[in-house]
Amino acid sequence: MADATIGTPATAARPALFLRNATGLVKAWSTFDAFIYSFWSINLITLGLYGMSFVYTVPDGQLLAGILLFGVLVTFLVITYAMLVSVMPRTGGDYAWQSRVLGGGLGFVLSITGWWFTLFLWAPIYANILVVQFFSPLAYTLGWTSVATFFTSQLGIFVSCLIVLAFVSIVVTMGMETYARIQKVCFWIGLVGLAVVCGLLLFYSQSDFQNAFNREATSLFGAPANAYQGTIDAASKTFGGSSFGTFTFGPVLLLLPWLAFYLLWPNWGATLYGEVRGAKDIRKPFWSMFAGLWVTVAAVVVVVLLINKTIGWNFYQSANAAYWNNLFAVSGAVAPPVPIWPYPVMFAGFLVDNHLFQALLIIVMGLWFFGWAGTLFLSSTRVIFAAAFDRVLPSWAANISAKRRVPYGSLVLMIVPSIVISAIYAFKPDFTSVFLDATAVLALTFFATVVAAVILPWRRKDLYDASPIARYKVAGIPAISIVGVITGLFLLFMLYQWSFNPDNLYGTSLQKTPNSVIYFVATYVVAIVIYVVARIVRNRQGIDLRRIHHEIPVE
Amino acid sequence: MPKIFFATDLHGSEVCWKKFLNSAKFYGADVLICGGDMTGKAIVPIVSENGHFTFALGGESQTVAADHVAEVEANVRRRGYYPLQMSVERLHELDQDPAKRAACFQEVMLEGVDRWMRLAAEKLRGTGIRCFVSPGNDDEMEVDDVIRRAELVELAEGRVVEIDGFSMISTGWSNPTPWNTHREEAEEKLAERIDGMASQISDASRAIFNLHCPPFKSGLDEAPAIDADLKLLHGGRALRPVGSTAVREAIERRQPLISLHGHIHESKGAVKIGKTLSINPGSAYEEGMLMGAIIQLDPTKGIKSYQLVNG
Repeated sequence: MADATIGTPATAARPALFLRNATGLVKAWSTFDAFIYSFWSINLITLGLYGMSFVYTVPDGQLLAGILLFGVLVTFLVITYAMLVSVMPRTGGDYAWQSRVLGGGLGFVLSITGWWFTLFLWAPIYANILVVQFFSPLAYTLGWTSVATFFTSQLGIFVSCLIVLAFVSIVVTMGMETYARIQKVCFWIGLVGLAVVCGLLLFYSQSDFQNAFNREATSLFGAPANAYQGTIDAASKTFGGSSFGTFTFGPVLLLLPWLAFYLLWPNWGATLYGEVRGAKDIRKPFWSMFAGLWVTVAAVVVVVLLINKTIGWNFYQSANAAYWNNLFAVSGAVAPPVPIWPYPVMFAGFLVDNHLFQALLIIVMGLWFFGWAGTLFLSSTRVIFAAAFDRVLPSWAANISAKRRVPYGSLVLMIVPSIVISAIYAFKPDFTSVFLDATAVLALTFFATVVAAVILPWRRKDLYDASPIARYKVAGIPAISIVGVITGLFLLFMLYQWSFNPDNLYGTSLQKTPNSVIYFVATYVVAIVIYVVARIVRNRQGIDLRRIHHEIPVE
Repeated sequence: MPKIFFATDLHGSEVCWKKFLNSAKFYGADVLICGGDMTGKAIVPIVSENGHFTFALGGESQTVAADHVAEVEANVRRRGYYPLQMSVERLHELDQDPAKRAACFQEVMLEGVDRWMRLAAEKLRGTGIRCFVSPGNDDEMEVDDVIRRAELVELAEGRVVEIDGFSMISTGWSNPTPWNTHREEAEEKLAERIDGMASQISDASRAIFNLHCPPFKSGLDEAPAIDADLKLLHGGRALRPVGSTAVREAIERRQPLISLHGHIHESKGAVKIGKTLSINPGSAYEEGMLMGAIIQLDPTKGIKSYQLVNG
């Protein structure tokens, strides 16, 4: 039944491996398909434009330098995760890596907080993005002002959260294969939309934009004449202006935690399915993550340059400052003439004096949201399943319906708390800082995985020595430990800034946000309590949870 | 009452087989069940040339001196591959002649299983531990004869065996796969095969169905979606149910106490199908990790407890 031979580049004329026909041996996926998945994870429109709308808080931070620096540093994260995939391909994922290297209890607490509890917070964040990038601009453009204002009300915010939760539940129900097809359609149409946006920003001048903005500000929003200058004036009450050309290294570093909002996730879903023929194919996870990261970085650079050229950097940053400072009730802030989030796509659409075209452009660019947001709960579902199979969570958490294969147990565990959190988000504005921490907690989860990677060669020597990466060393030190340390320092820097920035730059400094501290301490306490209770209950049932990851002696 | 340790799909990983044998002592089990697919999928040639040995593991060609070959072979075996020393001429002969390659595969696989049987005898002698093996769809039919000859391993395939008051039926046959392996048949035939054994059991509440292929749409049968060229679809992230309808129907109709499955390595899990607890412990043999299930049976409760472990 032998059916195939595989050669290596070094000895191309010679087979390196004889394979026989056996179940599960598959060929590598298309690099392009994997690239699309990674590209969506660091969605430059949906997450990128939203995250970068906060960089006005670092007016001396040169954004292009920040983006390029972030790309370099995240490349180390990509290498670290790709190496972990090559050591533990089948049992991969943060939960498995942390559990197997750091221990079951610690792995559970860190993963469950990062991939379960924290994702409750992302539902309202996604909802806010949906409102500011889709519902509000579309409604205003079509003249449905009451619809637009509804979504700014507390009830409207809550309804938008419910819409997002319904959408992600449908995606989980339909499964990844169907959603991947939808993603591909969204990808191509969204790219056409992005090309149109870039083309408009490229071929029109800044004076064209000023005229277009002033025209639409009056037409759509009833703003007084010269809203362009009016926006800069409104921002000037709380914002000193920003120059695109200013470069100072320190502020560039302060941009990194903002950029993490969208550029930190090329490793999202870094695990593998299938037993790929030929070990060299294990490099595909690296290249797919790397390409997704750097293609996005390149695209962001183009978009930022075009915003600077046509919209004007100081205006764009002023618009962001005016919008957010007014929303967050910063002392002295006044409402901008155009009361909605400064969406560069909508701004580009203004350059064509046709509301139908503008609406169509917003709808097309909305596919960047719908092609990406559906994966919100997929990772959570996997972590909940893994914890249920480990008997830490009740077995019903991993239940799926027989006919449609809906994982209703994990969906309930995600949806019900998300509804509660969404209600808090909508009706208790005091808790805003909690949601700003959502990126930091995921970064903390990544940090734990990176620590696991650093100590892997010593802690799980058997696994490491048998892996393809064991031969990669620098001065005798395992390469995974070196890249892990660099990644760890990068993550630690951002975690420090999020937690202790003296000016509360990110709205998350612990000394200024007691609600966040209480919330996140509570989530870790809840995770610890779940684990301890599970240990006690299972022990009474004759099940020792400590032995889940205990290795059986070989000899 | 018996405490069972079940593992499956070791695919030639000698580390996993040794762990399997040691699992009885480690977990306090008195019955070991290996659910099939014992044999490996690949041979790694270690080519002798000019006093050195060349091989490729993990993508890049490496050359070692003779005194390092044993270490290389152990590393290859750990990943479930068969290391095989050969000359350059033999390498080209196997490369060019599929029939000789197939014969070579059979030789190393049967030799490997035989070595495993001898290891089992060394480990289990005098312990009173019963060890059952039922080859899976990836195992050639000749594997059965090697197991039959084993001193302390019992071939479970195609029959009912009694385990301390519980009855177990076993088969490694599966529904058709894209790989056209050794023990595949249409769902109707598979149903007949299972029914032939299941009908011999009078009390389903004390029955164990050790069926290599998992039940269709159970959550234990989610495999990566592939195209006709065996290429992973959608970046390798989409899953499809590929289990057997015959296995599902048998479980739904007979409602055994427990059903044990493998076949789909990615689909680790434990689910209820009616009254039956169905388990697929998954497999990560290439990492040298033994994924398994510990099941404590009880004369009154049926299943006292179960746990999936990564040993």
